[in-house]
Amino acid sequence: MMSRKNIIDVLFIPLFLLLVIYPLVALLGRLTGGGISETFQDIYFWQSFKNTLIAALAAALLSLLLALGFGYYHLFNRNTIIYKIANTMNDLPIAIPHTVAGLALLLAFGRNAFGFIGPTGLAFTLVAVVMAMFFVSYPLAARTISSGVDQIDPEIVAVARSLGDIPYKAYLRVVIPALSEALFSGFVLSYARSLSEFAAVAMFGGNVPGTTQVLASYVFSKVEEGELGMAITASAVCIAISALLVATLSFMNYRRVKDA
Amino acid sequence: MLEFKNIKKCYGDQQVLCGVSMKMESGIKVIIGINGSGKTTLLKIIAGIISGDNGKVFINSRDVTVLPPEERNLGYVPQHPALFNHLTAWDNIIYASRNGRGFAETGKLMVEMLGLQDVLNKKPLELSGGYRSRVSLARALTSDPEVMLLDEPLSDIDASTKEKLWPEFRRTLKNNGIPSIYVTHDLHEAELIGDTFAAMVKGQIVNVASAAEAFEAIKDSYLNETVLSGIAALNVN
Repeated sequence: MMSRKNIIDVLFIPLFLLLVIYPLVALLGRLTGGGISETFQDIYFWQSFKNTLIAALAAALLSLLLALGFGYYHLFNRNTIIYKIANTMNDLPIAIPHTVAGLALLLAFGRNAFGFIGPTGLAFTLVAVVMAMFFVSYPLAARTISSGVDQIDPEIVAVARSLGDIPYKAYLRVVIPALSEALFSGFVLSYARSLSEFAAVAMFGGNVPGTTQVLASYVFSKVEEGELGMAITASAVCIAISALLVATLSFMNYRRVKDA
Repeated sequence: MLEFKNIKKCYGDQQVLCGVSMKMESGIKVIIGINGSGKTTLLKIIAGIISGDNGKVFINSRDVTVLPPEERNLGYVPQHPALFNHLTAWDNIIYASRNGRGFAETGKLMVEMLGLQDVLNKKPLELSGGYRSRVSLARALTSDPEVMLLDEPLSDIDASTKEKLWPEFRRTLKNNGIPSIYVTHDLHEAELIGDTFAAMVKGQIVNVASAAEAFEAIKDSYLNETVLSGIAALNVN
């Protein structure tokens, strides 16, 4: 007997295949031996690969550090103005165009004294790349940590405080150790987001081969130069790293559900 | 000595505590009330975990009303043991010593009293419910508190383990000689644990002579709750 399909089946499956899966297949299907060999022999590819991994790592760690600070405010100081501002601002970097984020960073920390703190010399350096990646990935880490904090039994904090812990000690001693899953998820999400960032990085960090170029900007440059084979290979590498991160996260979620 | 005067607490339009007052010098005072009668809210206000809308709390004549929990020197044992899962049972027990409260010697004494010798190096998730409750009690007592607050500390435990733990908990609390408030909705538990009794009815505390009298005082509310939950269960089914 044929199963009856509803409107969701009819619309969702073809649209998902067409708009999500097909573009990836179209890209990976154009991988060629020549493109792969040429890319892997390109020193700038390896430099951008290294820059991507290092800068994304630094940005993800910095995101986690600040997200833990946000988590503290989320737990203990939810009625303060600073928390309310931080909570609202958390979503802004996601909502604004990332070229705007890059421009904001450039004006704040650029070579000219536009910002309040004057010229810093940070623009178009690897530090700028890290800052741009951080700017767009921190909100994800903050949201992950704050939802992790929400899942902690409030009695744990109450007991720690009854045993003499002032709030920040309770946070360091009993809350953060209970946040291990949220920390890992926050790290993976921030890392993946940093890895995929192009616009903010290009605006503030630049796209200098061998210096500040990352994989996302390498792909852009290769397309502009008409080196499609190399752009496709670098894109496939990006997809592979991202897929690995997403698979790690899915595996963790699967284990958590199974353990529960 | 623990004293609280005229404690009030509202959640929205609902007044949970309507000017509750009590004074106790020593022994184990059991407060009996149905679920939702405000027992836990009262303990949390005394412990400083939440603040009351009105009223004062004194511990050994010291006004602690506006002090945070860490400055009240109370032992708090919540409904669920709330152990720190990343620490061993022993590290849980002597946790307060990190803040200069209590001594390892007291911890060792508690371990002996509650029969925890074999589980000291285990993490909470490796322990049975009964052991977790014992560790939770030992942890609170090792912090050398001036008053103990126990909020249905054995509610997670199966009936046969409870039967074993009730006398153990009473003996340990009595040996330490710390004034204790023990909250429960179980008549049998109240009888086995308490020295004195009170009932929590309509946001007020009423001192009574026995657990049975306390149960008599809350009977109407209890019956209402039972009937209502029975109706709810029927509706669900």
